[in-house]
Amino acid sequence: MTAIDTAIRATAADIELIGVTKAYDAKTTVIPPINVALRPGEFTVVLGPSGCGKSTLLQMIAGLERVSGGKIVIGGREVQDLEPKHRGCAMVFQNYALYPHMTVAENMAYSLKVAGVSKADRAQRVGVVAKMVGLADFLPRKPGQLSGGQRQRVAIGRAIIREPGVLLFDEPLSNLDAQLRHDMRVELADLHRRIGATSVFVTHDQVEAMTLADRILILNKGLIEQFDTPKAIYHHPASVFVAKFIGAPPMNILAVTGDGSALRLADGQVVANYADKGSFQLGIRPEDIAVNAGGSIKAEIRYREDLGSHEILETNIADQNLRITMPFGAEIDTEQTLSLSFPRARLHLFDSETGRAIHNAFDDAKTAPTFVKEYQ
Amino acid sequence: MSSESSLFGHCWLPLLLVAPLMLLIVLFFYVPVFQAFYWSFFLEQPFGGGSEFVGLQNFARVLSDPEFWMAGWRTIVFMLTASTLAVAVPLMLAIAADRKIGLSYAARNILVWPKGIAGAAIGVVFAFIFNPFVGLMAPLNALFPGLWNPGMDGTDAFVTLVAAHVWSGIPFNFVILLAGLRSIPPTMYQAAAMDGASPWRRIADVQLPLIMPQLFLTFVLEFTESITSVFALIDTMTGGGPGGSTTLLVYKIYIDGFRGFDLSGASTQTAILMVFVLLLAACQFVFLGRRINYER
Amino acid sequence: MVENARSINIVASILLAIGILYIVGPLYLTLSTASQSYEYILTNGLAWVPGTELFTNMAKVIHDTRIPVQMLNSMIVAFSNALATCALSFLSAYAIVYFRIRWAGVVFALILATIMLPLDIRVITTYQVASNIFSPLNAVLDVTGLNALTANMFGAPVHLELSVLNTHFGLVAPLVAHGTGTFLFRQFFLTLPKDLFKAARMDGAGPIRFLIDILLPLARPSVASLFVLTFLSGWTQYLWPLVGASTPDMQTAVVGLARLVPDSDGQVPDFPMIMAGAVLVSLVPLTMIALLQRFLVQGLVLSEK
Repeated sequence: MTAIDTAIRATAADIELIGVTKAYDAKTTVIPPINVALRPGEFTVVLGPSGCGKSTLLQMIAGLERVSGGKIVIGGREVQDLEPKHRGCAMVFQNYALYPHMTVAENMAYSLKVAGVSKADRAQRVGVVAKMVGLADFLPRKPGQLSGGQRQRVAIGRAIIREPGVLLFDEPLSNLDAQLRHDMRVELADLHRRIGATSVFVTHDQVEAMTLADRILILNKGLIEQFDTPKAIYHHPASVFVAKFIGAPPMNILAVTGDGSALRLADGQVVANYADKGSFQLGIRPEDIAVNAGGSIKAEIRYREDLGSHEILETNIADQNLRITMPFGAEIDTEQTLSLSFPRARLHLFDSETGRAIHNAFDDAKTAPTFVKEYQ
Repeated sequence: MSSESSLFGHCWLPLLLVAPLMLLIVLFFYVPVFQAFYWSFFLEQPFGGGSEFVGLQNFARVLSDPEFWMAGWRTIVFMLTASTLAVAVPLMLAIAADRKIGLSYAARNILVWPKGIAGAAIGVVFAFIFNPFVGLMAPLNALFPGLWNPGMDGTDAFVTLVAAHVWSGIPFNFVILLAGLRSIPPTMYQAAAMDGASPWRRIADVQLPLIMPQLFLTFVLEFTESITSVFALIDTMTGGGPGGSTTLLVYKIYIDGFRGFDLSGASTQTAILMVFVLLLAACQFVFLGRRINYER
Repeated sequence: MVENARSINIVASILLAIGILYIVGPLYLTLSTASQSYEYILTNGLAWVPGTELFTNMAKVIHDTRIPVQMLNSMIVAFSNALATCALSFLSAYAIVYFRIRWAGVVFALILATIMLPLDIRVITTYQVASNIFSPLNAVLDVTGLNALTANMFGAPVHLELSVLNTHFGLVAPLVAHGTGTFLFRQFFLTLPKDLFKAARMDGAGPIRFLIDILLPLARPSVASLFVLTFLSGWTQYLWPLVGASTPDMQTAVVGLARLVPDSDGQVPDFPMIMAGAVLVSLVPLTMIALLQRFLVQGLVLSEK
C-alpha cells in the first residue's frame, strides 16, 4: 500500500477568495462579496440549503463560472481569469458526468490524453489510480455497465489521476443509497488522508459535513453564517440558522422574554434566570433536555415516536413545539404533563431580530455567559 | 442558463462553424424568398431581358385572374380534405398499433415503407392502378361505362390525388403519433381503468387529450406539406387536368413560371402563397397551440 | 390488466390489416405488373399474379432509358445531401449551444424559419438564384453604388456570373439550406447533462477536442438518424431536380421515371416497363429503410420534438 500511497500524492495548495462576488444581472446577486481562506490540505465542506450559492461558489473556484468581482488565489496564483485546465483543480460531479462512450480506463485517462501524456505513462497512472479506488478489474468496462458506487469511484479516479492541488466535490454522494453513501464517505476520508489535496466538498447533507470536514462553511443566501470545525458548529452555533440546520432532530428554538431577572415563555413559565430585558430566542437541543419529577418546566405530550435506540417526544410548551429525545430505557410516567428542566450549560441564546448568538452556554453562578465567541 | 458563463468564449470559431450553413441558407432561402416579394412589384422579362417597376400591377393582374382564384380554391379544398385524412388515417392506425396485438409489430414495420417511395414514383404507380382501362376500376368500367375516369372526370382525378397523398403521408404522421401514444405512462391507463373507463372510452378520455401536442404538430406540418408536395403527384398523375380541375397553386406557379415564362406573375403568386402559408401557421399557433400544453 | 378488450382488439386488427393492405397493395401491384409482359396487360389489365418477365422489363429499362445514369445522379445527390446536412447542421448546432455568443438566438431563429417555407413553394426564384449564384452579390454592388464607382474607374461594372444549374452541387445545395438538422442536433445537445461539458472542461478539453472526443461519438445515433432521413429526402425529391437539371444525364432517377410515361394519350403505355422502372428507382431507399429502420423511426421522432 505504501508504494501506491506515494504514487499519487498531490502538492496541496491553499485557496483564498478575496471579495469574490457573483451576480447574473443588476437584480439577482447570488453571492455578495465573500472572503475566505482555506489552508493547504484542509478538507472544507460547504454546507447550505439548495439555492444558497454553494454550487456557484464551487464552480467559480473550478473556473466553470466567471466571477463577477474579486480575486481567487490558488497556491499563490491569481486564477480568476484562467481557464479551468490551468487552475490545477479537479472535480467530482453530482451525476458523475462520466463519458458514456469511453471505457473506465479512457474516462480516467482523458485529462492526461488532452494534456499530451504518453500512452505508456497514461496506462501506468491509470493502473495505480484504479488500484487506489478499487476498480482494477473494471478498466475495460463502459460506465453503463457499472453500479452507482463504481461509477462514483471512476469519477473520483478521474479527478485524482492528475494529482491536482485542489479537489472539488459537487454533492458527489447525493445519488447513492444510504448504505453506499456511508461506505463512500469512509473511503473519501481515507483517500483524502492519503492524497492530501486541498478539498472543497459541497453538500446539503449535514452528516456528510460533520463526518468529513476539517472545517464547515455554512452558507445561507450567499452569506457565510459560520466557518468553523464541526464540533464548534454543533456546540457553539453562531446563529439560529446554523442551530436549526445542524443536528437531527434540530435544535428547539423558543421565543422568550427577559423581565430583568428571568427568561419567561409566553405563558409565564420561567425557563432560566437572566439579567437582561427584551425578547430573545432560546435554543436547546432535544437530547439536552432533562425529564425529571423535580423539573419546574411543564410541557404537554402530543405524540411519541419510538425509534428503538431512542424515543422522540413531541410536546407542547406555551403553544410552541418542543422536541425531546429520550435514550432507550428511560422511564417516563404515562401522564400527559411532563416535568422538565433545561441544564443551563446547554442553553443557547439568540438575538430575536438578527438571529445571531448572544450566549452559547450559561454559567450557573452568574447570569453572565461562560463562553461567547464572535464569528467572522 | 445558470452556467452561461462557463460556455466556450471563443469569438471567431462559432462564426466559422455556422458560416457554411448560413451561407447556403441565405443564398438559397432568404435571397429567393426576398426576390419573390421583390419581383412581385416588377415586370420581369424572361432571359434577363430587363425589369421595370410596376407597383401593384402584378397583384392586380393576378387577383383579377379567375384561374388564380380557382387554383387557390382548389388548393384550400385539397389542403383541408387531404391533410385531414392524412392525419386521421395514421391516427387510427397508430391507436390500433399501440395495442398489443399480433399485427401491430408488422404494421410498425410496413407503415414506414412509403417514406422510401418518391411522391413522383407513387404518382406513376397510382396513375396506373387507377387507369380507367387497365387499372383497378377497369372491370367495373366495363360493366358501367364512364363510372370511373380520372382522365375525364375532375372529381375522380381529385380523389386519386388525395389517395396518393394520404399514402405518402402515412409514415411520418404514424410514427409521430405512435411515439406520442407510447410516451403516455402506463399508470395513466391503470388509473383510468380503476375509474371504470373501458378501452374504448380511454381513447377519447386519455389517449387523444394526451397526444394533442403531436396531433397539433402533424396538422401544422401537414397543411404546408399537402399544398407543396402535391406537385409531384399532380405532375405525374393528372398534369393539372382534366380541364384544370387538379391545377393547384403550386402547380400553376410552376406552369406560369417555367412554361409560360411569366416570372412576375409566378413570383407574385409565390409571394401570395408564402404569406398564406405563414399566416396559416401563425393562426394555428395562436388559436390551437397554446391550449394543448400539459405539464406531465 | 384483467380486462375484456376483445372488441377493441378485433377492430384494431381489422384496421391494421386494412392499413397494411393500403400500403402493400400498390407496391405488390407494381411488382406483379413489372413481372408481366406488355401484351398481358393489354388483354388482362392489372396483373394480380406475378409473371416471369421482371428481369426482361428491368433489362429494358437499363438498356433503353437513362435510368442507370440517373440512379447514379440520385445516389450522388442523396448521399451528398445527407453528408452535407449532417456535417453543416452539426457544426452550427454546436456553435449555437456550446458557445457564449449573443447572436445564437437570432441565428437559430433564422435557420429554423426555413422549415416554414419548403423549397417547392419558392422554386421560381430559387431557380433564378441557381442560374447565377452571384446575382445577390451583383445586386448588392449595384445598390450600394460600388458598381457605379467601378464603372467610372475601370469602364465596366463588376458583373460576376456562375450558374449551378445542371450540376450536382446545384441539385444538392438548396436541399441542404434547411433547418431540420440543426434543430435535431440542438435538441440532442440540450438533452446531454451539463456536467458532461463541465467535466470535459475540467479535463482540459478545448472546443475542438470536446467536439471530436465527446460530442461526435455520443451523437452517432442522431447523426445516423438524420443521415437516413436526409438521404431518403434527397432521393425522393422531384420538383427541384426537375427544374434544376434540364439534360437527361443530369436528372435524377425519380424525374427520369416520371418521364417514362408518354405525354400522348393515344395508346396504353408500356406499364410493365414503367413499373419495372419504379421498382428499380425504389430499390435503394427501400433497402435502406429495411436495414436502418430503427434510425429512420428515431429520426422522424427526433425531428419533431
